[in-house]
Amino acid sequence: MFNYVIRRLVYGLITVFALSIIVFWLLQSTGGDPLDRLKANPRITQETVRQMSEFYGLDQPVWRQYLTWLWGFVRLDWGRSFTGVDMVRDLVFERLGGTLRLMMTALGIAVLVGIPLGIYQALKQYSFFDQAGTFFSFVTFSTPIFVLGMLLQIIFALYLEKWTGVKFFWTSGMNSTNYSNLSFFAKIGDTLQHLVLPALSIALISIAGYSRYQRAAMLEVMHSDYLRTARAKGLSRRTVITKHALRNALIPIVTLVSLDIAGVIGGAVITETIFGWPGIGRLYIDAINLNNWPVVMAVVMSIAIMVVVMNLLADLTYGWLDPRVRYD
Amino acid sequence: MTDENRPDIEGAPDRGLPTEGALLDTPPETSLDFEALDAAEGMAVEPVTQWKLFRTRFSRHRLAMLAAAVLAFMVLLAIFADFIPGLRDPTQPIENEAGQLMLRMAPNSEFWFGTDNIGQDQLSRVIYGGRTSLQVAGLTGFMVASIGTTLGAIAGYYGGWIDNLIMRFTDLVLSLPLLPVAIVAAAWLRDAFEGKEALSLAILLGSLLWGTLARIVRAEFLSLREKEFVEAARAAGAKDRRIIFRHVLPNAISPIIVNATLVIGVAIILEAALSFLGFGVRPPTPAWGQMAAEGGRLAVNAGAWWALVFPSGALILTVLSVNFLGDGLRDALDPTQTIERK
Repeated sequence: MFNYVIRRLVYGLITVFALSIIVFWLLQSTGGDPLDRLKANPRITQETVRQMSEFYGLDQPVWRQYLTWLWGFVRLDWGRSFTGVDMVRDLVFERLGGTLRLMMTALGIAVLVGIPLGIYQALKQYSFFDQAGTFFSFVTFSTPIFVLGMLLQIIFALYLEKWTGVKFFWTSGMNSTNYSNLSFFAKIGDTLQHLVLPALSIALISIAGYSRYQRAAMLEVMHSDYLRTARAKGLSRRTVITKHALRNALIPIVTLVSLDIAGVIGGAVITETIFGWPGIGRLYIDAINLNNWPVVMAVVMSIAIMVVVMNLLADLTYGWLDPRVRYD
Repeated sequence: MTDENRPDIEGAPDRGLPTEGALLDTPPETSLDFEALDAAEGMAVEPVTQWKLFRTRFSRHRLAMLAAAVLAFMVLLAIFADFIPGLRDPTQPIENEAGQLMLRMAPNSEFWFGTDNIGQDQLSRVIYGGRTSLQVAGLTGFMVASIGTTLGAIAGYYGGWIDNLIMRFTDLVLSLPLLPVAIVAAAWLRDAFEGKEALSLAILLGSLLWGTLARIVRAEFLSLREKEFVEAARAAGAKDRRIIFRHVLPNAISPIIVNATLVIGVAIILEAALSFLGFGVRPPTPAWGQMAAEGGRLAVNAGAWWALVFPSGALILTVLSVNFLGDGLRDALDPTQTIERK
């Protein structure tokens, strides 16, 4: 067990390390200099540009820059953003809060709706409800998340407001501009009005995944020998389902949910762009477009580390819940 | 959106056991295939070949049949777009008699799907956009099938250090955060492949998505190479190459087909996501994802619903068909499963 964790962590470290080299190289060989905007400004002299290059270490060879970055990264000194005086680390951690708020809400909704949905579908296999749920899952799977997000905006923000005259949901930002003047309950309301639509657009896709997976897992357990035994010894249907089937059918979904967290953080790029949400996803896109590579590196590394950690946690939880799993 | 995060779309295999409450209320359903097999065994009228089994099973899957038809229609439209009468140049803004651009026209008898922000005909853009999107997706599917099968086959057949090396590499690729990496790489490829976006996107997606298939093929090869018929072939003096291509690969072909099909759907969705963020196919070349992204902004800001509905509708319909088709193929190609009517 201990060896297993160590080995997985070493693999994870290699993955993150390899990724850092690939991304660094890609960023460096993409055309464009981070200081292009400065150079285009006629009021900035050659001398200033030279000093800036030196300050950011851009005059060094690429491998040298990489090593400097790497050494800084492991000491949690992630450098400065090219666009201002911000320290990259503070920038990323600040934006990470926004992403986590969005992601946790979305995952909460997805788990609370998706899992019961899948179980119910399995219990009523081939019923109308089951078929409808299956169709919903397939359609949601097949829809790009930005289309879902835009549809939600159009239906629940634009048209709902047009028809009722009341503004239920906001389509942009995390809070209103007058947020700090609001009363406590108004603050909660305002936060929810901003949070619901982006969270829902992420949650819908995850609900489709979870319900599909949970349905399959539940059906598999319902067909197992030990469940036949439980039925045969005369237990009531309720006991069979809650005591015997559910407990086992819920194990596989744990893996899926933990793996999904990583996917959702990566996918946040799109949702945050649609809903103008200040999270790491939008930070990432803006940074790539400006060739602001210290920020790009910091975001990509944070996401990669989260992926590695979540993957490991998923496997460990699985083993903890299902004693048949052995680590070797 | 990654493939491995996508749960198995099929349900648990139906083993013919009664599911609810009582044990022997209903007799296990006899499926058509066993009847066909019995008939073939008993009377020896006609042998049941793999292909025939597949056809019978696939044609029972009505949704998959429908999906295949829709997909064929989409592909034909894309291929023969140039020969469709009345279709306009998709990259040409249209002017009326007075010389004004026909901007953001709602669908009408002349422009079935309306016109977009700069006055281009949406119907022809959706059809030509299908050409781009399907090209990207098809090429991606082909790349995934080639890379995944080759690496998986080498790893599974030879084993040892080469297996270890390939599989660690596969693990690495699979644990990359898909979208962020795709974005950085797309930004790089955008410069490297100026003007050949479809090809560059396919290369990008293909080199990120082959991991799952490589794992599947390796597992198939691992178990198949221990089978008696492989041993027999080896004893008869067959070389590795012959064993792999003649004996092992044909038996591992079904998961390859299924996975490559499903990857096509993933590729269309990812192409759309990248286009939405500005890293995909660039205008004026039409592609579904890029049109849906542009149209969505137009729909939200200017109420032009048709700009979102038609391109995204074509996209969703195609991906949906791909997924149903993949599901149907999986059921039909796996002879160990019994199939229920859908």
